[in-house]
Amino acid sequence: MDLTYAPEDREFRAATRRWLEANVPGDDLKTLAERRAWHRKLYEAGYVGMLWPREYGGWGATPMRQAIVQDEMARVSAPPPINGLGIGFIGPTIIVHGTEAQKQRYLKKMLTAEEIWCQLYSEPNAGSDLASLKTRAEDQGDHFLVNGQKIWTSSGPISDWGILLARTDPKLPKHRGITCVLLNMRQPGVEVRPLKQITGSSLFSEVFMTNARAEKSDLIGNINQGWEIAQTTLGFERGGNSLGRVTRYATAFNQLVKATKELKRGGRPLLEDPAVRARMGRIYADLEVQRYAALRVLSALQKGDAPGAASSITKLSYTEFEKRYYELALEILGPFGQLMVAREEFEEVDSSSGEPGTFATAFLWSRAGTIYSGSSEIQKNIIGERVLGLPKEVRADRLKV
Amino acid sequence: MDFSFSSDQQLLKNSARAFLDEHCKPAAVRLLWDDPRGESDTMWKEMAQLGWLGLSLPEAYGGSGLGMVESAILLDELGRAAYPGPYWPTVLAAAAVETAGTDTQKKRWLSAIATGDARATLALLDADLDWDPGTMSARAEKTPRGWALSGTKRFVPWAHVANLLLIPARAPEGPTLFLVDPSASGLTLSPVQGMDPATRWVQIDMDQVPAATDAVLGTVGQAEPLLASLVRRGAVGAAAEMLGAARRCLDMAVGYAKVREQFGQPIGSFQAIRHKCAEMLLEIENSHSAVYYAAWALDAHAEDGELAASIAKAYVGDAARKVCGEAIQVHGGIGFTWEYDLHIYMKRAKALEPMYGDADYHREQIVRRVAR
Repeated sequence: MDLTYAPEDREFRAATRRWLEANVPGDDLKTLAERRAWHRKLYEAGYVGMLWPREYGGWGATPMRQAIVQDEMARVSAPPPINGLGIGFIGPTIIVHGTEAQKQRYLKKMLTAEEIWCQLYSEPNAGSDLASLKTRAEDQGDHFLVNGQKIWTSSGPISDWGILLARTDPKLPKHRGITCVLLNMRQPGVEVRPLKQITGSSLFSEVFMTNARAEKSDLIGNINQGWEIAQTTLGFERGGNSLGRVTRYATAFNQLVKATKELKRGGRPLLEDPAVRARMGRIYADLEVQRYAALRVLSALQKGDAPGAASSITKLSYTEFEKRYYELALEILGPFGQLMVAREEFEEVDSSSGEPGTFATAFLWSRAGTIYSGSSEIQKNIIGERVLGLPKEVRADRLKV
Repeated sequence: MDFSFSSDQQLLKNSARAFLDEHCKPAAVRLLWDDPRGESDTMWKEMAQLGWLGLSLPEAYGGSGLGMVESAILLDELGRAAYPGPYWPTVLAAAAVETAGTDTQKKRWLSAIATGDARATLALLDADLDWDPGTMSARAEKTPRGWALSGTKRFVPWAHVANLLLIPARAPEGPTLFLVDPSASGLTLSPVQGMDPATRWVQIDMDQVPAATDAVLGTVGQAEPLLASLVRRGAVGAAAEMLGAARRCLDMAVGYAKVREQFGQPIGSFQAIRHKCAEMLLEIENSHSAVYYAAWALDAHAEDGELAASIAKAYVGDAARKVCGEAIQVHGGIGFTWEYDLHIYMKRAKALEPMYGDADYHREQIVRRVAR
């Protein structure tokens, strides 16, 4: 056991910090063009696509370096790069399962955010039970004809391309009749409607596909092999990268301390109230334990250990923590915690969506984490079955087969 | 950055597991419940031979010079076996003598402890029930031949089998730590039995207990930093032991959920049970991270070492309570019987929960450090 950073990683952190101090934009990025420019700058500095192999335009960096960059960006609340889903999950899927032509065509433009990507997986009636999805892709020889509806699509309105799961063979058992194909979002058969969330903003969309066209040359893997491919994508999505997230929580904690010093009850700062102190001590312990756990994951990744099903523990841990965290912050702050615009008592805090806002925004966003990317209940099923080796449950859809 | 155990550390863990699986079975723990001493001298000598008692002592005194990480590994396993005996109080007391003692004091005690010939304990909790190392109601008055100690120490672990008591008392100069002979005049030891029959506590009443000038450990009036560091190390060790006990409870619950059938199926196939087990594992894994981070931070003199120690104790206390409690729930009725072994481990974790600073104390330490 040695939890010190290697000297060259410490140096890298210092260099990253200097770069960010010199380059982080002073004003909020408003337009897509401004966000693209910032993304491009990050990419050219080597801070985007860090884990991607060099041959595909990436930087071939270690997970540690990537974690350091995310941590430093969180420290100064730097705007995140765009195309996160593309670079984090879709690109790696193409690298693993795609053809050489697909890699040449898509990867570089994904990295530079010239083309923005979205994920077309969830449907109104296929959430946790993703394999029951109904969107059809009919084989038309050189292309598929796509009809159906997707939901919870991030970056929908700005996306150029999507990675789609659709049913190609309704006669096969549900996990075996699904195909993964890339879909051009810029075509008449694809309609994107923003979906307003409880936060008041619209980070997600619904996508309607009516006789949309997906090319055969954009097929990922084989026909009806889509479920397997989706599993690798989800595998990239869970775990890792939790250091920057914890730093955002810590920044919010500092704002909570500031607020409890400035807000007074009966003439005394909230921070002097023993009941408030006990709660803050409990939540800070919880927060730091998330950091220790993140370091542990990082140490395993550094050694080349695949986190596998254990990454479900990480995801379950931080998303459930985040709910407890902001619930407690709002309890402590009372009605001040519910304000949707920052005030003098506390500055903006970053929510888990990356959107800046208040404790109220962060609280509302905390409800999303335990639902997306496999709900807490699904994570507990995975942990129970694959980590603890508990027997599989009897399920109606398994009995039918 | 390496959060995994080195091969030597893994070896220590494996050998501890093997030894305790053989020598500290639940039946062996139960046998000692009615024993007046409550511990086995044979096992103590074997632990000495394995080098456990001198684990963190310098080689000059027969020790191995290892750190808090290694102690935590051992305590994790001792907790998993619900080992009954004065291991951790003795090792902590030895660390105090090693840190602050004179050559004479070290020669007198350290080798004897490493060889298993002496047991020791620390009276960290006073009649005032405050874990703050600066506050104590026990008094040390100067006498012509040294000192006279008066006052009451509460819930002192294993004092009835100790050859050496480390007792803090307030001298006119401030908090002072004394090495006290358990057979000294004016000293009364009264056993106090909690719910864990394998944890022994003793109340120490002192009425003008004589202590010689050379019985002071460290500098008169300056014991507070040493006491604070003992509470801290003690807390991390207790957290490791609670973690081990909770691990055992989870293992038993998962094992049971795989074989116990109701409604024609193993109960582990029901989400109500499976999700509970997953939540328990989450608490175990987070506790593991907390314990070993803190142990490493103390060894490395990291700037957040003190914070990490309080975090480990506060977090693991809550986590172990949850895991052990839910293990009973998963078992159902059988888990509530005296014959079934589950309560052995649940009670061990419980007994350690208020020790070396309870969660409230440590949460306040956390807030003092991070909300200035």
